Amino acid sequence: MADHQLFIDGEYRDAASGETFATHDPATGEKIADVAKAGKADAVAAITAARKAFDEGPWSRTSGKERAEKLNKIAELLGAKAEKFAEMEARDGGGTIKKATFADVPGAQGAFQWFARMAEEQPEIVDLPGTAFPPSENYVKYEPHGVCTGVIPWNFPLIMAAWKIAPAIAAGNTSVIKPASFTSVTALMLGEIMQEADLPPGVVNIISGPGGTVGEELAANPMVDKTAFTGSTEVGRRIMQLASGTVKPVTLELGGKSANIVLDDADLDIAAAAVLWGTFFHGGQVCESGTRALVHRAIYDEFVSLLADRTGKIVIGNQLDFNTDIGPLVSRSQVETVERYVALGREEVGEPLVGGSRPDDLAEGLDAAAFYRPTIFVDVDNKSKIAQEEIFGPVLSVIPFETDDEAVAIANDSIYGLAGGVQSADLDRAKDIAGRMRTGTVWINDYHLISPERPFGGYKQSGIGRELSTQGYNAYRQIKHVHINPGGSRDNYMHFSALSSNI
Amino acid sequence: MRITATERASAVVERAKHSRAGRLTITIGTGCCESTAPFLYEDFWPGPDQAEVGSVSGVTVFAPDHLRRMYPDAQRVVIDVTDELAESLSIETEFGCRLVLRGADFDSAAEPQRCPAPGAPLDRRVTGELPPELSRIRMR
Repeated sequence: MADHQLFIDGEYRDAASGETFATHDPATGEKIADVAKAGKADAVAAITAARKAFDEGPWSRTSGKERAEKLNKIAELLGAKAEKFAEMEARDGGGTIKKATFADVPGAQGAFQWFARMAEEQPEIVDLPGTAFPPSENYVKYEPHGVCTGVIPWNFPLIMAAWKIAPAIAAGNTSVIKPASFTSVTALMLGEIMQEADLPPGVVNIISGPGGTVGEELAANPMVDKTAFTGSTEVGRRIMQLASGTVKPVTLELGGKSANIVLDDADLDIAAAAVLWGTFFHGGQVCESGTRALVHRAIYDEFVSLLADRTGKIVIGNQLDFNTDIGPLVSRSQVETVERYVALGREEVGEPLVGGSRPDDLAEGLDAAAFYRPTIFVDVDNKSKIAQEEIFGPVLSVIPFETDDEAVAIANDSIYGLAGGVQSADLDRAKDIAGRMRTGTVWINDYHLISPERPFGGYKQSGIGRELSTQGYNAYRQIKHVHINPGGSRDNYMHFSALSSNI
Repeated sequence: MRITATERASAVVERAKHSRAGRLTITIGTGCCESTAPFLYEDFWPGPDQAEVGSVSGVTVFAPDHLRRMYPDAQRVVIDVTDELAESLSIETEFGCRLVLRGADFDSAAEPQRCPAPGAPLDRRVTGELPPELSRIRMR
């Protein structure tokens, strides 16, 4: 029996094949648990359970208030188990316990609470005053899509699960999600919360397993009405192709290569911290990371010096210690990917200003093959590979600019458009630049601050649609226009005049 | 862009050819947690910006325009495979492995040990506490 089983139709169960896969603490290579490995049969079982729960109710027919009560209960139960979830999140994915405690668990709670509020406050029926066809009356009715699936990445497994499950069930849909194989455990643990919240069976289903089979099924299966994905742009394209078979709507949150622009009037002390936080939070394994720092030439040398000095103070090590800033990357192959790009950077740009290697001063028992030092390349050409490709590791490219127009042009010279930052004392100037950046989010004098109340998503090849906010809620609702002819005389019926009066 | 593949990557593609009835394609894509990586798909539709850059075990490899520009002419990338846990919708994830890209100088014979034995046991309990200024924040 797997230590962590699939959650289907309200119950935990092994995969139909009985297969499992091991998940490890990336810091040490130590095995954490055996996780059930779903196959196509399990994916179909989960989708079927969700379909039945939606079609036969009661969930899809409950009021917004009733659904809100359940979502708030889920948030409350998650809060009661916050330490357990935070520790497992940190162990399984390598993110720090600090991140798990102040971002992952409260962030997931916040998503359930926000979408509870949406369920309670957003009207399901909106009258449409006036009519082109008197005496008709018209209204819009918002309805759930049906079965909504989600495939989530390994960098924020608990939050990403909440971002997919919470809006779906708040709007009256049922949900099937697949967490990433590197980090399945906390998403699977959410099943316990669903049971304790007494959610009807089949409303939420969580299955771990390979994307090649399970992920494909969640996107392609005709019983599914909508699908959402967070992860790589290439997989997003694949999801769209698979979903197109039955014309499913998709929400995609994909890659990024975000620019953090430091203007010449910025407070350099604060801006340097913003750039380091924007880049190295979670070891750079964050889709909106500001991995291109665009720095005005007038302050360039001083700013680069500040970055180098501060980077040396970032604490790398055991992710379960609250004093650690960066833990291991999610896997050894992720470190190898970072190393490949640092080698490319050395060829294209030269020796990095700082970093450029695995750490050699880790505590005994930690495996250096899973860690990488924060690395900064300076004087980077924006056309270079390290400035254009998403590395998904702790690598910053610093790029000089002379004018605001040039900064905007460099920032927008990317296939992506997920996020960005502007660091400046002049808010009007910063807002002008923010308005010209083709990205879904811009932080002025901040970075990485995402909350459930605000929309999140990308321009260009960074995705389709928005998660969170009212927009993210409405993505999980169909729109139905209802036209009512109250009757009366034959003159009230246009069909008598539109067709022959003989009908 | 010039594509080569290690023997073990070719073997994985061969295995996929036997497990899927449709036409297989490898597309080199980018972004987010996968970084730039090869993706092995069945009945995939290459986009208008994608062009053929090589083949592995008879399976055509495509790459988009912006990557072909960054790896011009004969710049080589190597398709290899890793046996760690695998993400993405790439077919080989069914086999518990993942195709990856390596640099031109990659030597599969010199690959580092993938599953190192941990050293002395570390105290793996949570230590310390959240700084009070962060306890007031609900981020994300």
